[in-house]
Amino acid sequence: MARVSGVAFGRTVKRRLGALSLALASAALPAAAQAQEAGPDPDVKVHAFVSQGVIKTTKNNYLAHSDRGSFDFTEVGINFTANLSDKLRAGVQLFAHDLGPLGNYTPTFDWYYLDYRFADWLGIRAGRTKIPFGLYNDSADIDAARVPILLPQSVYPMDHRDYLLAQTGGELYGNVRLGEAGAFEYRAYGGTLDFGTPLPPAPGVTVENLQMPYVYGGRAWWSTPLDGLSAAGSYQALRFDSEYHIAPPLIPVLQSVGLLPPGFTGTLPTQFRVKLWVASLEYQRGDLLVAAEYSRWIGKFNSQAPALLPPHIVNERYYGMVSYHVTPWFTPGAYYSVYYPDMDKREGKQAFQRDLALSVRFDVTPNWLVKLEGHFMNGTAALEPTLNDGQQPKDLVQNWGAYLLKTTAYF
Amino acid sequence: MARHPSTRPSFDPRFSRGRRTLVRAGLWLSLAAALLGASTVEAESGAPTHVVIVHPHAGTSSVSREVLGDIFLKKTARWETGEPARPVDQKSGAAVREAFSRAVLRRSTAAVRSYWMQRIFSGREVPPPELDGDAAVVNYVASHVGAVGYVSTSANMSTVKPLVVR
Repeated sequence: MARVSGVAFGRTVKRRLGALSLALASAALPAAAQAQEAGPDPDVKVHAFVSQGVIKTTKNNYLAHSDRGSFDFTEVGINFTANLSDKLRAGVQLFAHDLGPLGNYTPTFDWYYLDYRFADWLGIRAGRTKIPFGLYNDSADIDAARVPILLPQSVYPMDHRDYLLAQTGGELYGNVRLGEAGAFEYRAYGGTLDFGTPLPPAPGVTVENLQMPYVYGGRAWWSTPLDGLSAAGSYQALRFDSEYHIAPPLIPVLQSVGLLPPGFTGTLPTQFRVKLWVASLEYQRGDLLVAAEYSRWIGKFNSQAPALLPPHIVNERYYGMVSYHVTPWFTPGAYYSVYYPDMDKREGKQAFQRDLALSVRFDVTPNWLVKLEGHFMNGTAALEPTLNDGQQPKDLVQNWGAYLLKTTAYF
Repeated sequence: MARHPSTRPSFDPRFSRGRRTLVRAGLWLSLAAALLGASTVEAESGAPTHVVIVHPHAGTSSVSREVLGDIFLKKTARWETGEPARPVDQKSGAAVREAFSRAVLRRSTAAVRSYWMQRIFSGREVPPPELDGDAAVVNYVASHVGAVGYVSTSANMSTVKPLVVR
């Protein structure tokens, strides 16, 4: 009961913080807009975006209650950036989104930072910064930055947004020219993550007291001597501490099949260490963009119930993507994305997700775009039981489709 | 490791029909892209050239294409002389911007705009100011130490200094 009260209290505080944030943003907007109009290089710059989408799926629910069509697919953000001196900058972005059960329009500080750039090869940031993981993680929210509506969900799963997009702490970064060998960029960070109450992993199971003692990682990016070709490697390590609460009626059932130890009381403290890496290639020349990434996420659970929470699991994730600016206003794109939740178990439809996606982007004006996208899905690996009437992935339909329409205005 | 047959994609007939349609659409799109791409290359070869300009008191008179690209993408914040660099762009629909983007940044203006969307909303950097026309760019560059811009060859450049791009 006390926990429920705590959660309710947290939500009330979040709502009030959200209202306060929007009020501050509203108050700041006229002044900032005036600054933007004052000249070509104002001290404070303001940018914003608003996106609304609709998702319709066949046979299974995905990301939202989507089989009957869902408009729970909204993103809005506004940011302010100021150059405080030649080397010192500050910025903040407010962001709210809704995607099925996630977000619920709660405004958050998406990122905020103080940035001191000593030289091109060394800068330091403090605050909450987007996590550089792969080619697109730090811009995963930004519809205007890419052709597809959904980035390849194998490497950039939207339902992991709260865990993987930003960290609070510090970051070092830099950019070095290597002469004939191209250029090298690096980012290295450490801190912790801020996240809300996680979704229940299964009916009758809740996760509480979720804490993250640390997250650290980095990305090295090499712009090769071949114009437009870049190669990158990213690494991230983090630890989740939490308690799994299992409903009393489930306990004897799970004990009878050996998933829970005898004498289990209903609370399962766990420690989950995760290491993620991704290798990336991108070729961008003229109007053409080709990208490919391969990733593994290695998780180690430490708990009293190793049969229920496997002590060691390795995901495999990869995709290939292409897009082409046929005209400045029309850009088609496609990707093929593959995800194995456990790379040692590839049998059964619940063991994989293969996604063939085709997208078209129309830039109606320089500040407004419309996108259409179709996904031909094979496998049920990433489907949430909580969105599918409690059905487990093995009980869902193997071949299914997702169709999306999204529009974004930005400046 | 041998893969179990059940892990192969096995689309049902409706998906097969959909997939055929998609493949057909993809082929048409690829063909259209190839044709348009070819015409773009032809247009590039005959396009008017641009001139890169800097403040008249700038300490540098030439720069490599790679460093100039880094300045316009704000990967480099300073000139080799240590002076802060202040790049200025033309509006995204301008022909001279397209020519500059393709020649120096080696990508289209649309691709450059996508790059800036990533940078802006991930909190990394904001793009250079965009000015409307050669005269506005010349005025800006002439009045800001460290500024660099580009204009069409017909522009009046008497108040600025041309920069040689190596």
